[in-house]
Amino acid sequence: MNCYFDHSATTPVDAAVIEWINQSQPTVYGNPSSSHAIGRKGKHILETARFQLAGSLGCSTKEIIFTGSGTEANNLVLNHVISQEKKHIITSSIEHPAILKTLTHLKPFGITCTVIPVNKYGSVNPLDIEKAIQPNTSLISIMTANNEIGTVQPIEAISSIAKNNQILFHSDGVQALGKIPIQALVTHCDLMSFSSHKFYGPKGVGFLVKKEPVKLNPFIVGGGQESNLRGGTENIIGIGAMALAAEKAIHSFDKTFNLLKDLELLCIRGLRKIIPDVVIHGNMDAHIPGLISFAIPNIDNQKLLTQLDQANIYASSGSACHSGISTPSDVLIALGIDESTNLSTIRISFGKDNTFDQVHYFLDTLKTILQI
Amino acid sequence: MKKIIVGLSGGVDSAVAAFLLKDAGYHVEAIFMKNWNEDDDCPAEEDYKDALMVAETIGIPLHSVNFSKEYWDKVFKTFLDEYKIGRTPNPDILCNKEIKFKAFLDYCLDLGADQIATGHYAKIAQSSHGFELHKGDDGNKDQSYFLYTLNQNALSKSIFPLASLEKSEIRAIAKEQKLPVYNKKDSTGICFIGERDFKTFLKTYLPANPGSIVKPDGTIIGKHDGLMYYTLGQRQGLGIGGGYGDLDEPWYVSDKAMGRNELIAVQGNNHPDLYHSSLTASHIHWISGNPPENETAIGAKIRYRSSDAKCVLEHVSKTEVKVTFNQPQFAIAPGQSVVFYDGTLCLGGGIIDTRSHD
Repeated sequence: MNCYFDHSATTPVDAAVIEWINQSQPTVYGNPSSSHAIGRKGKHILETARFQLAGSLGCSTKEIIFTGSGTEANNLVLNHVISQEKKHIITSSIEHPAILKTLTHLKPFGITCTVIPVNKYGSVNPLDIEKAIQPNTSLISIMTANNEIGTVQPIEAISSIAKNNQILFHSDGVQALGKIPIQALVTHCDLMSFSSHKFYGPKGVGFLVKKEPVKLNPFIVGGGQESNLRGGTENIIGIGAMALAAEKAIHSFDKTFNLLKDLELLCIRGLRKIIPDVVIHGNMDAHIPGLISFAIPNIDNQKLLTQLDQANIYASSGSACHSGISTPSDVLIALGIDESTNLSTIRISFGKDNTFDQVHYFLDTLKTILQI
Repeated sequence: MKKIIVGLSGGVDSAVAAFLLKDAGYHVEAIFMKNWNEDDDCPAEEDYKDALMVAETIGIPLHSVNFSKEYWDKVFKTFLDEYKIGRTPNPDILCNKEIKFKAFLDYCLDLGADQIATGHYAKIAQSSHGFELHKGDDGNKDQSYFLYTLNQNALSKSIFPLASLEKSEIRAIAKEQKLPVYNKKDSTGICFIGERDFKTFLKTYLPANPGSIVKPDGTIIGKHDGLMYYTLGQRQGLGIGGGYGDLDEPWYVSDKAMGRNELIAVQGNNHPDLYHSSLTASHIHWISGNPPENETAIGAKIRYRSSDAKCVLEHVSKTEVKVTFNQPQFAIAPGQSVVFYDGTLCLGGGIIDTRSHD
């Protein structure tokens, strides 16, 4: 049995989306900037995608900016602050490297930041954010849901703090689409980043929701595409496929949510039975469904992942370098998790095509590996 | 079917080893081993990428394992300790002993392997006395020198698929099989230093203590940057040049006076101070588990690539020997290993402690 349990890393492309890509690829090749019939066809796909996404998210078409990835959307937002008079940014200690590393990179450009710690469940306390506000704070960037431990942040509360202090609020929503009611979230944020391949779309495409009347400076400058905000000929097929994938994910939210929750509960119950001292990370009261980050005391996560791989079960550790080597996860360090537990932690993240049988197979395999 | 896990380094040798096993019908998996913590100069990421390309081309799974901590504790610390006292260690020998044929072997057995394989140029044979280690058929590439610490258990669980192949054949197989590393340059030097400058590398771990270069009679003839940077017998990089002395010949490091922090150099590679007719070695390991019966007709290598020199063995204790050569040997270096052979059969070896003229 094959068990892909790494949907927080990336998802397989949805079957209907693949079909749409295969149909469109041969005919849709025009440059949307060309005014002839072939170009107009490209432009039509592009704007249909924008319309579709705006409808799914409950925002206006003007508020959708296509990018090459979620990371690029984050970079677009953070780089904007360079040109602002106020150059202070507030963020959290468990943001994705697309935020934390970018902020380090922006230091020489005068950007300063306050990194808010999280509690042992990975939750940000909104009061800490309020306290960190300085006269020159221009942006608060807090992720919606964490990719390693699944904790969902109190976005609404943080959003009102930002509003009351007239500070822009950005949330990296890459892990959220399709797993959390997204329209409500979008209403709370000024800026929100998304990535297609996390919700069964293709890789290499993402978007930023930029609510009116927020103005940004371009990060990639060129031929004036995306209202002068993102130069470069649009990845038309990718964008069209992403919009379809988003629509499907948001449309089938209830069904997916319930399945993921059921798989998660079955899995956690099984884990607790097999391993009484299993450590489950994250905030179970505010959590994206289907993501379980857990530590089996005294088990080397690299070895366990290899053994699971040998049994065709594909999971991951929170953090791996490019040589496939597990390294201590910075997110777990930020939660105050000790190094031994850190290096015993693996993450499984279910997706819409996973089954109960797969979870049973996983639990049985785990028993065999651990010789229980 | 026998399950074999190959250590895949990203180089051409282990790639061909993996291919040959797969081709022979074994159930083959591969592991990329990381023994050194990443820094900017470490090519581990590139090597992993190459290993992955090879594994996918052959059609075998690739796993990764991190032995950085084990390597640091069991290999690198010893490496530094040896340099600190002026010796010239061989970390690759220690790596084979502690990492590849211990930590890695155990790890693979845990993952269900029956045996492990590596891309070493050496041969394992089975006789009535047990498992034997022999030189690889490519005399130019033979790596048995680095493997003399293997014990019976390790040999019984290991396969060297390149045993009877020449390097040129390896590259030809790699090319024929479209393995993307077929023309990748062989790695040189110590694995964790890679292409970096050795002096700069060592300086980050050990304080340099410059001093004088002297002739055996004590006459100062130059300055050295720190004794740890020099190897006995070394000619290049002394900064003295030929023509300084009475003869128009280059200078060679003949000894290190650690107490006085002096590097002793002599002129001409025929200088008697560069030659010693005996040595003592400790940490002696015999591959068969027992010392050789015939102690007079064996050959010894005092460094990788040196030819086998005829010698006589004398047991000082269970783990110490005195080796007397028929002909004096050039630049015997404490810290390096002396490895004993009977023809192609590698008997074992130990680490050189002292050398002497008698």
